[in-house]
Amino acid sequence: MAQPVIEVEHLSKRYVLGTREFGYKTLRDALTGVFRKTPASDEDELWALRDVSFQLHEGEALGIIGRNGSGKSTLLKILSRITHPTTGRARLRGRVASLLEVGTGFHPELTGRENVYLNGAILGMSQHEIRRNFDQIVAFAEIEQFLDTPVKRYSSGMYVRLAFAVAAHLTPEILIVDEVLAVGDTEFQRRCLGRMHEVATSGRTVLYVSHNLWSVEQLCNRAILLSSGRLVRFGKPSEIIAEYSDRRGASSWDVSAIEDRSGTGSARITHLELLATDAHQTLSSVEFLKPFRVRIHFEARRPIARPDFGLAVLNERGERILVCMAAESGCDAESIDGIGWADCIVMAPCLLPRTFRFEAWIIDVRGLSFADRVEMVGQLDVGLGNWTEHEVGQLQVDWRGSIYVPSEWQIKPTS
Amino acid sequence: MPDSVAVTMRWTEIDAEAPAGRVDLAELWRYRELVQILVWRDLKVRYRQTLLGVTWVLIQPLLTTLIFTFLFNRVAHIQAGGGIPYVLFVLAGITLWNLFSSGVQSAGNSLISSAHVISKVYFPRLIIPAAALLSGLADVVVTACLLIVLMFWYGVAPPLAVVLAPVLVAICYFLALGGGLWLAALNVEYRDVRVLIPFLLQFGMYVTPVVYPLTALPDRFRRVAYLNPMTGVVEAFRGALFGTGVPWGALIWSMAVTVLLMISGIAYFRKKEGIFADML
Repeated sequence: MAQPVIEVEHLSKRYVLGTREFGYKTLRDALTGVFRKTPASDEDELWALRDVSFQLHEGEALGIIGRNGSGKSTLLKILSRITHPTTGRARLRGRVASLLEVGTGFHPELTGRENVYLNGAILGMSQHEIRRNFDQIVAFAEIEQFLDTPVKRYSSGMYVRLAFAVAAHLTPEILIVDEVLAVGDTEFQRRCLGRMHEVATSGRTVLYVSHNLWSVEQLCNRAILLSSGRLVRFGKPSEIIAEYSDRRGASSWDVSAIEDRSGTGSARITHLELLATDAHQTLSSVEFLKPFRVRIHFEARRPIARPDFGLAVLNERGERILVCMAAESGCDAESIDGIGWADCIVMAPCLLPRTFRFEAWIIDVRGLSFADRVEMVGQLDVGLGNWTEHEVGQLQVDWRGSIYVPSEWQIKPTS
Repeated sequence: MPDSVAVTMRWTEIDAEAPAGRVDLAELWRYRELVQILVWRDLKVRYRQTLLGVTWVLIQPLLTTLIFTFLFNRVAHIQAGGGIPYVLFVLAGITLWNLFSSGVQSAGNSLISSAHVISKVYFPRLIIPAAALLSGLADVVVTACLLIVLMFWYGVAPPLAVVLAPVLVAICYFLALGGGLWLAALNVEYRDVRVLIPFLLQFGMYVTPVVYPLTALPDRFRRVAYLNPMTGVVEAFRGALFGTGVPWGALIWSMAVTVLLMISGIAYFRKKEGIFADML
């Protein structure tokens, strides 16, 4: 086989968190730092990428799959030369264009026409190339009449269409794309995907990140799975997607067979289910600060009058982080008998991006006892949602504990 | 595949151990169009949606000249010396000083104002401060035209040495770029710099003979004043325009400082380049 186009060897990237090295410093920090050399401890470090190696040949399209914070974006940023790796090396053969966002460098005051030239140049196109493709770009974006209007007056749809149109006419040997299809309407997304497919099948090498697994399967002939910064597997997209779906965990857990439980057994919790708040879809993970619904399925062996339900979120050591109870929330059931479910909608969760477990119970109020109680069941993965890398870094460190509460500060220097 | 069949494929090497600091001139040359377009953007955006548009480029130095002439010449009785009208004297000083100060200011803050692009696209980062400074050069051209018109008005004919003027503008540009590179890179890590720049520049204007001639200073101060690299450039610029003599010694000192600042500035900038995206 021919020489690979992309060779990645033992690539790692470490971020040092905390006030001293992360974010900007002030001169005072630097000056005092000279005298107080405290080495960064392990818990202030975050390995966004750890010892990743793979090779890619000409014409291959690689899908990069993994959960938020698994290192996908960091890998793309290193290969795009936006940030330096901490260790390791990579070689890329040919012109590299990266598209980590559509419309990078668009200036709101400039017109659509002017922004095409500006954005094209920033993405690495020559003026000659842009001129040659100009009509096609405008046609693809369908914004002919607004070509001389400042883009600040564009609707968000027009803006995205124009931005993607410029990017779609990049013709590098290696194209790096991050989640750009998540914008625009369905029809436009379909056209973008078609365009990407053309690029991928015209002998160029593509690296593609998307949460849309279907598009990865459509577009790519190779895939890697990243988890906590490590490369878990390299292979065919269908295999990798299957493994990812397995790992991502279920959204429903059968607890009927668990023997380690307490209570009289007058009712039994059969399984737990994680749902979106509207109960229309199941979730395998939830987003940071976003409400979710947990459904406790049960079977009462005999009628229980005025039962109470409880749900607790536990950390990985089994300590209770949150407790939600039905009766105190004003939800009283007259009685239960047979099969049923109780839904707990966690309205304002303050759980940090971590993995948690559940504890659930049914109380027989009249009997003043637990009818049933199970703990350390299921799995609640809190993902990062729309939080930026910077903030995420600060949230993922261990010393933050398990919950996040917005705070307001007032500082008064004593002078 | 129109563009992909290149005879010699370029390799991009990414290596954690690679020494930083070397400047890839060939790469900078490939990105020359981006420099052009960034300068063009700066110029276009600056006066868009302003009522007076490009006339601002004229109004600013004109008003400054009038105010300075009133304050320092009429009120404080500072004379230009050499029979040169004070208006011309101060406008010549402002022309170069504005290039320097707006250049240092825009270059120094350039990385922070381009933070978003830096975190999303790669291109040689040196382009950003260099382009930020180039748009200031356009202002110099306009101010220079104003200066030429006023010289005609006052009947001041430039000597042969006037051919030196563009060279002096270039020295001033690189002096500002050298300083701007240092400040831009430092600014990413230490935001104190953002606060420090205006203060430094204000101080700088008073220690540079912009509103007063160097001859107005006592001897021992004059020698200290020459340590300021802008002193030689501004004095030589006036000498070239009005035939009052070029202070060669001071000019050579200015050029030496310029070269030193450029080399060290580029080295420091390149060394810190890898952390820009992580720090911004």
